[in-house]
Amino acid sequence: VNYKVTHITRYTYGAPVELTTGVLRLKPVSRDGQILDSFQVRTDPPCLPPTERIDPFGNAVLSLRIEKPHRELTIEASSEVRVDRPAVLEFSPPWETVAAEALNAPSLGPESPAIGLYPSRAIALFDEATAYARESFTPRRPIYEAAMDLATRIRADFVYDPEATDVSTPADVAFAHRRGVCQDFAHIMIAALRGLGLPALYVSGYIRTIPPPGKKRLAGADASHAWVSLWCGSSMGWLDFDPTNALAIQNDHVEVARGRDYSDASPIESMVLSFGSHELKVEVDVLPV
Amino acid sequence: VATRYSSLAAAEDRVSKRLENWTRDYAPLPGIPDEFVDSEGRSRPHWLRLLTAFATYHPGEMRQRFATADRRIRNRGVSYRVPGEKEERDWPIGRMPLLVTEAEWRQIAEGVCQRAELIERVLADVYGEGRLLASGALPAAAIAGSMDYVGAMRGVTPPGGRWLRLYAVDIGRGPDGAWWVLGDRTQAPSGAGYALENRLVVSQAFSDLYSQLNVQRLAPFFRALSAGLKSGGQRSEPRIAILSPGPLSLTYSEQAYLARYLGFLLVEGDDLVMREGRVFVRTIAGFKRCDVIWRHIDADWCDPIELNSSSRIGVPGMLEAIRQNGVAIENMPGTGFIESRAMLAFLPALARSVLGQGLLMPNTATWWCGQPKERERVLDEFEQISIASAFGNELPGMKGRSSVIVEELSAAERARLRDAIAARGMDYVGQEVVRLSTTPRWVEDALEPRPFVLRVYCAATPKGWRVMPGGFCRISDRPDARAVSMGDGVESADVWVLAEKPVEVSSLLPSPESVRITRLLGNLPSRAADNLFWFGRYLERTEATLRVVRCLASRSVDPDSPMRAGRQALDRLMGVLVGWGAVEATTPKQGAAATAAQGLRDWRHYGSALALARSARTAASVIRERLTYKTWELIARLESAIDPSPDRRLSAGEIVDLTEEGLTVIAALSGLFDENFNRGAGWVFYVMGRCVERGANTCRLLRQFAGSDATEHTLGVMLDLIDSQITYSSRYLVGVALAPVRDMALLDPFNPRSVAFQVNRIDEGIGTLPVLRRDGILEEPRALTTALQAELTTERAERLDDARILAIEQRLLKLGNAIAARYFLQGAAQGRAEKVTGLA
Repeated sequence: VNYKVTHITRYTYGAPVELTTGVLRLKPVSRDGQILDSFQVRTDPPCLPPTERIDPFGNAVLSLRIEKPHRELTIEASSEVRVDRPAVLEFSPPWETVAAEALNAPSLGPESPAIGLYPSRAIALFDEATAYARESFTPRRPIYEAAMDLATRIRADFVYDPEATDVSTPADVAFAHRRGVCQDFAHIMIAALRGLGLPALYVSGYIRTIPPPGKKRLAGADASHAWVSLWCGSSMGWLDFDPTNALAIQNDHVEVARGRDYSDASPIESMVLSFGSHELKVEVDVLPV
Repeated sequence: VATRYSSLAAAEDRVSKRLENWTRDYAPLPGIPDEFVDSEGRSRPHWLRLLTAFATYHPGEMRQRFATADRRIRNRGVSYRVPGEKEERDWPIGRMPLLVTEAEWRQIAEGVCQRAELIERVLADVYGEGRLLASGALPAAAIAGSMDYVGAMRGVTPPGGRWLRLYAVDIGRGPDGAWWVLGDRTQAPSGAGYALENRLVVSQAFSDLYSQLNVQRLAPFFRALSAGLKSGGQRSEPRIAILSPGPLSLTYSEQAYLARYLGFLLVEGDDLVMREGRVFVRTIAGFKRCDVIWRHIDADWCDPIELNSSSRIGVPGMLEAIRQNGVAIENMPGTGFIESRAMLAFLPALARSVLGQGLLMPNTATWWCGQPKERERVLDEFEQISIASAFGNELPGMKGRSSVIVEELSAAERARLRDAIAARGMDYVGQEVVRLSTTPRWVEDALEPRPFVLRVYCAATPKGWRVMPGGFCRISDRPDARAVSMGDGVESADVWVLAEKPVEVSSLLPSPESVRITRLLGNLPSRAADNLFWFGRYLERTEATLRVVRCLASRSVDPDSPMRAGRQALDRLMGVLVGWGAVEATTPKQGAAATAAQGLRDWRHYGSALALARSARTAASVIRERLTYKTWELIARLESAIDPSPDRRLSAGEIVDLTEEGLTVIAALSGLFDENFNRGAGWVFYVMGRCVERGANTCRLLRQFAGSDATEHTLGVMLDLIDSQITYSSRYLVGVALAPVRDMALLDPFNPRSVAFQVNRIDEGIGTLPVLRRDGILEEPRALTTALQAELTTERAERLDDARILAIEQRLLKLGNAIAARYFLQGAAQGRAEKVTGLA
């Protein structure tokens, strides 16, 4: 499937901003089953020419710097992506084997399972999540099957509720309330998997939404999305699961960035020199072409 | 001759008796090696030499020398902070140094240098080619668990040429008498400055012994460290800064001390800014390039854009500047993961594969439970070992403890720990149980064996690794402690490495051609200017408040003052205290004495003299490296002078006495600044702070006591408050009148307390400061002073009215704001970076 994605972020500040510095993680990666054909980012007011680097998780990170005083900031990223991920057909190894193998990882590179093994800034491990995961991860169960089961249970047991949490809600709080949004469900699933000693990462990106029958697609109504990548052993590598929709990722998802948790993969990190507060509006369009 | 001989013999007898007592009563713990007494029970000769010398002192003299050392510690402001406490504590320095012979030290130093080299190479490989990871010698998972592993530094070449500049290692003596490594410090090792302070204090208290025993000097090490830091810069005269987390950090006093001792800038994150791949210091003369940063903050807090986004003490963009080779950070961000206990399990084998030789000094035997064989071994020998967190400070599931001895756990705890290790072994290490050896601690005129840990420092210098001959020794107060950290009851001790030959002293002076003469120290950082300015303002406000309190207290008991007329002056004085936030609005109802007492010492009111003195100290604490010890001591003494006995009720007479005490300390401080403070930019900011405040205060007082409704009484008070009674009566024989008082307080350029005098001083100072504008137009602060000065010079006292005085006061405050806007953080001071995160 080919997609054209537009992601517009608008900040309105309560007081003039002297300086904005930060980083953008808006450029979709090219990796297994996903190819980036074109990418453009534009800001208003214009920023200094951005530099690009690849971060420890393989993401393309662009620098953002605006030295002109401003009261509003618009960041518009557009990309064209081809997605063609093969369906998983093989039998997967028992999860215990994968856990043992991860500890022998010979590198700290972006593909290494070692970087997904441990608690991270936004995801502490907690016993309740590990116990929850154990119900799906019974002894010797194939990892793919167990992970699908876990994602399906999260979808069934948790309520999608944008009012219940915010960006900084820790996983254990969302878990206790049994509510949240994609970010919370991803964090919960990651905490649960890591509790078993399995390498898991947070993925941010987009999902194509299919309008209800008979209705037209609404422009700008799509959203950024987040899901989970699980390392399934060296032969299968990283496979992605979407606990919000109880899906294994195939061709409806466009990946932008990954990391240990939200804080590694958030689309925009910026610091402003200003006194006032700010408001934020986001519009996302994922258009199949 | 005979009597003299016998008294000498008696003295010798007394000495040997004391020595005998100390030795006889000293009982090392069974099976544990001791520094003073060997395993056969014999006293070691180098300790006997020290104790013999101690024994020649009278007990009284001994006490006196110790007291001298304690006083020095207090006076020098050597302190540390216990987490969670607001006030710093005095540094607890032990009486007894730790003695190490040169021969033994050589072995220690070799072991430490070897380990430093090993760690440097491991760091370079882990962040570089990754051969050790690929070969399996070091599992990637044994590194990734550390929050101090900084993935963003992969593939980066350190701008300073190396990862590790200053390395420290905690060592202890094992049961076999050999030295063992207990832990590595690679993030931002602390304590080197305290070691230097300990040395200064102890060597002064026992200067005779110090040279008799050939104690090796520390200064050459610090010079070598300084040369090492300098070599990381890319200019011949690099600007070096110590990056501090600020005065609330546990070891701020040490950072300030090192900055002063080595002549580096002491900066906080706010002082630095990244532009075009380089890091700059904000100074009063604009941005100045910073070449080398010796960081004293953990890597995670260094850069809020790439690392911990909640950090307010870092420099946004620092990592990018490193990648662009624009600044050398020492130690490099990312070195901290070496400190995790998991690494102790691999370093012995890494030494063989990386250096081709085993470790000269072994470390505590450690097994990382992320490996199946090692995990089995740990679970097999569970009851005999200790379990610790492999990476963090807290053992998962054991609140607040980083390590436990399994033997000491309950059966339930043991079972839980076993399960946890079976589930996520990679979070745990097993370690042999460490028992520390002992060294003598001085406890009430006797010696007691106490466990200790020694921290040794090693610096990368242009001539290779160099070890500080000495170190930072922590001695426990309990005989059975298994771990020693700085907290209640732990003393630090100086460490004396005893050379076999007398130590060269003269060679320590730098050669004349290597020293370039300089009179002023670079550009003043904006934050230092800010704090000097505010220190001046707070000190001046303290003085003004003390004068008002004194005047109020003394008049409240004056039997000569006629009731009604005196009443008005008292009410006005109390009104001033209310207006300045020194007392509650309702307090004056309780009478003049109660109001005076509250204005003097009720710290809950920000405007009370005591609260202001504290604020002055807080401002000064941020620039401590720029103040002499004496100055710092006086600043600290101001509060105790004002409020020596907090719980006691005070009579009006006592209040007057205390204000006099406080004013005397302030006078001494002012004198000290006048006599000793270099007339550079820092001085100008201190003076401007005092003058702006004094000018504005005088205007306020004039409106209260020399306004259109002034009486003979209020005018008298006015003269009192500006200390001008005597001058007035010598100039005017007719008694107090409005215009002469106003002239004296506002316009008279010869009276050092007049507003005109303050404005003249500000103008004089501001003219010496650097100018940013290149178009020749006056900068705002200069324009304001010039105009104000012209008006005050031409004004006539007879023409003044209340509105005019208020206008002058407001222009002084405007001047204060203009100074802040131009020189301090260029307007960014209040608008601290606020983080905005976009979530969809």
